Amino acid sequence: MTDAAAASRHPVAVLGVGAAAPALRLAAADVGAAWGAAGAKGTVALCDADEDTLTLAWQAALDALDAAGVDPAAVPGLWWGTARPPFAEGPSHAYLATALGLGEQIEGALCSGSPHAGMEALVAAWDALAAGHAALALVVVSDALVPGLGTAGEASTGAGAAAVVLGALPQGPAPGAEGRGGRPATAAGPSTNGSSAPARLVARATRVIAAVDRYRADAAAATGDVYDGRLFREEVFVPLLARAGGAVAQAGGTPVTGWAMADPDGKLAGAVARRLGAPLVAGSPAGTIGDAGAAAALLGILPAWATGPESGVASLGIIGYGGGRATAVVTEVLRPVPGAARALARLAGGRRVPYVVAVKARGQLVAMSDPIAMGVPPTGAAFVRGNVEMLQLEGARCRACGTISTPPSIHPACTGCGGGELDVVRLARRGRVHTFVVNQTMPPPFQAPLPMVVVDLDDGARLMVQGASADAAALAIDDEVTLALRRYALERGVPVYGYKALRCAAGDGADAGAAGAGTLAAGAPSKEGGR
Amino acid sequence: MSWNKVAVVGAGLIKFGELFEQSYEQMAAGAFAAAVANVDKGFDPSAVDAAIVATQRGTLWGQEGIGGNTVPSAIGLSGIPCTRVENACPSGSDAFRIGAMVVASGVHDVVLVIGVEKMRDKSTQEGLLARAAAGHPLYNRGETAPVLFAPYATRHMHEFGTTPEMLASVAVKNHHNGCLDPYAHFRSEITVEQVLASPAVCSPLRLLDCCPQTDGAAAVILTTAERAAQFTDKPVYVAGFGVATDHPYLHEKSTFVGLPATTSAAGRAFAMAGVGPEDMDMAEVHDCFTITEILDIEDLGFVEKGKGGPASLEGHTALDGRIPVNPSGGLLAKGHPIGATGIAQLTECWWQLREEADERQVAVRRGFALQHNVGGRGSGVAVVNILTRNA
Repeated sequence: MTDAAAASRHPVAVLGVGAAAPALRLAAADVGAAWGAAGAKGTVALCDADEDTLTLAWQAALDALDAAGVDPAAVPGLWWGTARPPFAEGPSHAYLATALGLGEQIEGALCSGSPHAGMEALVAAWDALAAGHAALALVVVSDALVPGLGTAGEASTGAGAAAVVLGALPQGPAPGAEGRGGRPATAAGPSTNGSSAPARLVARATRVIAAVDRYRADAAAATGDVYDGRLFREEVFVPLLARAGGAVAQAGGTPVTGWAMADPDGKLAGAVARRLGAPLVAGSPAGTIGDAGAAAALLGILPAWATGPESGVASLGIIGYGGGRATAVVTEVLRPVPGAARALARLAGGRRVPYVVAVKARGQLVAMSDPIAMGVPPTGAAFVRGNVEMLQLEGARCRACGTISTPPSIHPACTGCGGGELDVVRLARRGRVHTFVVNQTMPPPFQAPLPMVVVDLDDGARLMVQGASADAAALAIDDEVTLALRRYALERGVPVYGYKALRCAAGDGADAGAAGAGTLAAGAPSKEGGR
Repeated sequence: MSWNKVAVVGAGLIKFGELFEQSYEQMAAGAFAAAVANVDKGFDPSAVDAAIVATQRGTLWGQEGIGGNTVPSAIGLSGIPCTRVENACPSGSDAFRIGAMVVASGVHDVVLVIGVEKMRDKSTQEGLLARAAAGHPLYNRGETAPVLFAPYATRHMHEFGTTPEMLASVAVKNHHNGCLDPYAHFRSEITVEQVLASPAVCSPLRLLDCCPQTDGAAAVILTTAERAAQFTDKPVYVAGFGVATDHPYLHEKSTFVGLPATTSAAGRAFAMAGVGPEDMDMAEVHDCFTITEILDIEDLGFVEKGKGGPASLEGHTALDGRIPVNPSGGLLAKGHPIGATGIAQLTECWWQLREEADERQVAVRRGFALQHNVGGRGSGVAVVNILTRNA
């Protein structure tokens, strides 16, 4: 299958994109200094103790849905690719879908096991759309792998997430014969009505070699390296990626003119691009956030998606690989993809932290004292009652007086008037600080300084949730805050999630993110059923 | 139906502090002995008809189930009727209220109300801080004890211009009073500067804005007004009491510049006693944190809402002030062994009304004293008791 016709597929539309990266940045030079090595450059993004691949995926997905103008409740399928899901075995997909408000009928799949999972999710969603089984698909790719201490991966392993909303296109002439700029199906939803898709996925190819690259054994916490990086780059990965890329390089209407892919050692991607005869897409965020694993390829294409072609159609290739597999996908870009510019902005900035802070954030430096256990273990009945209403940010709105009491499970009666006729609603995710405190000393798993914030949400509900340590110094009454999914604890080995109130950056309220929050707030359909 | 008038004929407590050397049972026995010793005409322990025990959180020393049988056995009265009361920080004051109702009802003539609390047997992390993980499994996670009150300080400062110095003045005053109280945990003077320089705990509250973790026990002996003369010629009477609740979680609060449960409980107690805040000669109020006392004196009607800070700074609540508050040193200096706290406060009111408070004695003009506790998750319950020496 090396000819262009074999690589072409029935195209699907790219309707919107989002991205996320954690704020912490670790300089490769600081890693080198810690271990007595020199020469590494750039920075990598890494998760703080309350972030992980799920929280990044959630943030990127919200932006993508907002950029595509899609109501989460209207999404029929979620395809999530992450090398290492938060639950090695467990409800990772269900948690993400629930926190996004995708509804209990959500289909799709969780792909994992290597960074190639990102391409597997993209391709699987594509197939579902092409098969006519869905009109819309949410694809989320994310990773926040923890590299082993003292491994080369410490200076290259980053964290980040990207999400795209794909839409079905009408079945036209045979793949490969179809002209560019196909019209999206009207059934795909409001965003695809009447206008050509900003970008399309048109061709793909996968190649395989059964060789060990990055790996992690069942019981290991961190990911290990290949034992001879240079050998594997030159003899395994460069040839593998070049074969996959070569199979699609001519498959679109025009030859691929730019490539995006992960570049863990700063050499591999360039070598592959040279073999393929076209440059890497300029402006990749990899230099500042590092190798974001399953998200790396989509994050790398963002600069090209953000600018769009100067004229006509740009044919751009993305290659994701890992676990002995490489998949190349050709995207045709007609105009800037909605959300791409904001997505790039989400990856900029960050806060450089010392090596010891990074190691602590990664959970590799742990205080000897026992952390404070949750009163209710994640296996307890009260946790089961409370978890979904937290993930979905539910409140109970009184039919008599309109007061929203949160959460519903502990409020059979209205806190405003005592009434018992209540409807479960999803809360707004934006609000203002009514009052707050900053805990200056907290035992694990909490991290001081820990703000506790009483928030008056835009829908009139009031919540008290944790704030961000980074906001502690500047927090003030009336500050605008947004509620973001965070990992509260790793409780008895189980990740536990909830929301934290994060201070909005100046001007943040005016961007499309605010509209996105609104989409999930007042506009979201409320579940029927009084109590 | 008319109720019997209730008198307090004996009251006493043990020296509060970190009592690592004493068991829960030994503390109870000490408090009971102190109350008995303070009965003017002598008291035969076998005269106790029933007991009410206040212990708020046995888990703080590893005992979940402190039943009604624990204390009678410890004080040599095994066999008497006894019930344990748990009602958050006002557990002791509510036990008193219930004990008074038992006597008033005529069911029992002589009732012992005793509060006992072990706060220091477990480490802070195992004990009080563990509440950061309590309640709904996910909502309000991270809520420690100071988090229940510090948001009020933030908002009070925002709305009324209350300053850290005003908060500090409460701690300075109560530590001064504690120096005069032989039962207080802390007995040393502090300055505003020391408070402001103490480590930040839960901003805007600093270490010296917070009460300590204190072990302690206190007891009072109640009987009918008719039988009081058998024990004393200086009885103190229960003039009124009130209890009120509010929603438990902080995010359910309608205001962060006051505690509605306190206002409601006080209104009920004042109405029952037929008096008002202006009739009080002194008050023992719940000052678990400095901001709490400022809220209290406003909510109880001693000062206008928003004026609690300046009133404290200007000395209106000092021993010689317009309304002396916490002459015992309060929770900030005397300590806060939860179940014992309210009963110890009532003991102080008893001494003050009998003019037996030595160096910390306030001027008794109208013959009324008020005692107040507020607590529970998010100040969800408050109790006010009013005592009088007026027959």
